[in-house]
Amino acid sequence: MSDSPVSTHDPKAPEESAEPSPQEQKKMEQAYAQMKRKMSMQEIGKKIKHKVMVLSGKGGVGKSTVSTGLALSLAQQGLSVGILDIDITGPNVPKMMGLDGRRLHVESGRIHPAQGHLGVKVISMAFLLDNEDTPVVWRGPIKLGAIQQFIGDVEWGDLDYLIIDFPPGTSDEPLTVAQSLPDIDGMVIVTTPQDVALLDSRKSITFSESLKVPVLGVVENMSGYTVSGKATPGMEIEIAAPAGKTLKTTTDEEGNFSVTLDIFKEGGGKSTAEEFGVPFLGALPFDPGFVRGGDDGVHRIVSDPEGESAIAFAGVVAALQEQIVDGESVGLEII
Amino acid sequence: MTRFERRDFDVQLTYADESEFDITYDDLRHACPCAKCSPMRNQDETSKTLRRQVEALPKEKPKVRTVGNYALGFEWTQGCSSGIYRFERIWDLANRRDPDNGKPYVHGAW
Repeated sequence: MSDSPVSTHDPKAPEESAEPSPQEQKKMEQAYAQMKRKMSMQEIGKKIKHKVMVLSGKGGVGKSTVSTGLALSLAQQGLSVGILDIDITGPNVPKMMGLDGRRLHVESGRIHPAQGHLGVKVISMAFLLDNEDTPVVWRGPIKLGAIQQFIGDVEWGDLDYLIIDFPPGTSDEPLTVAQSLPDIDGMVIVTTPQDVALLDSRKSITFSESLKVPVLGVVENMSGYTVSGKATPGMEIEIAAPAGKTLKTTTDEEGNFSVTLDIFKEGGGKSTAEEFGVPFLGALPFDPGFVRGGDDGVHRIVSDPEGESAIAFAGVVAALQEQIVDGESVGLEII
Repeated sequence: MTRFERRDFDVQLTYADESEFDITYDDLRHACPCAKCSPMRNQDETSKTLRRQVEALPKEKPKVRTVGNYALGFEWTQGCSSGIYRFERIWDLANRRDPDNGKPYVHGAW
């Protein structure tokens, strides 16, 4: 029979290859979950009006402080805002937002973000850690999967702004987000006025070119520290400033004075922005209150909503909003 | 700016008040604001070198993309495509003004 050119099919006979093997079944399930997540990411993209990435070339420039500050400043305007803390290895947004130790709520396979100050929704790897001292040591593919899950499986609801806080540098994370989340408005580059930070910021700006995500602007953090005091009215005060400089000021009629010390340098963020022809969104003061607020879980903008830092953040947010256009183009016809 | 029309050798710009300006592609490329091209405009000799390099490139219409709502980017098949041209810079070029405001490019700024 086997030599016959005619094959026969017995419908009652069990088909050997009809049932997929457990490995094939697993692969199919994974592919289905991936497809579902991609569709979900597209849907989420539509529900969030504006998505802003916050990056820096160098660590320690206050990126998370700026991310949370932008989010809270936008929330102060009455907008609905979320923060996605994509810094998987060192997530610290929850602590700054007063959500330390909080767990995420999962319902029907969807992750519900925690709500911090001013109703800002927060998703962070920190919520998934049993112990904050436990390091997350993940290689590329696992990290990528976690980021996609953070985007696709989170029930953000309708948001006006989603601020995405990244780890420092030009690594996998921004690339994954740029490829997964549609219609990102652009990125904010955070820098301090040191040469090293500025050099790395330039890398971030160039990096934006390869991601095809526009730079919304540069923010200079830790720009200057203001010293205030009281002395005899009309008195001339001299203060020894960094780099051997001496700053002079005169007290006002009530004896008050204030002088701003440029702890690092002056105007570096602005010149970097000018170099690349991108907007300078503003400078944020060196404010020790951010450190205390971060540690206590009460953000500076919440504890002192009319203070110098809150006002500076409002200025940066206004400049940012000017760069973000409602609608799809700047009304320019290109032929 | 309301209209950006790419022609064979230059671009014609139309502004909201219907005023029209043109900028040659050579002028546009010579005024590239990127960190590599800008220092070359600091001195007459290197600026002329940049100009000669630009003029030696094939004449082509660039791909144009908006960058946020503040600038345009141009993609050429050859030569530098890195510069982000703020609308103010393009306005200066359209009005035959020096977009660097006569300042040299030093340590990353004009």
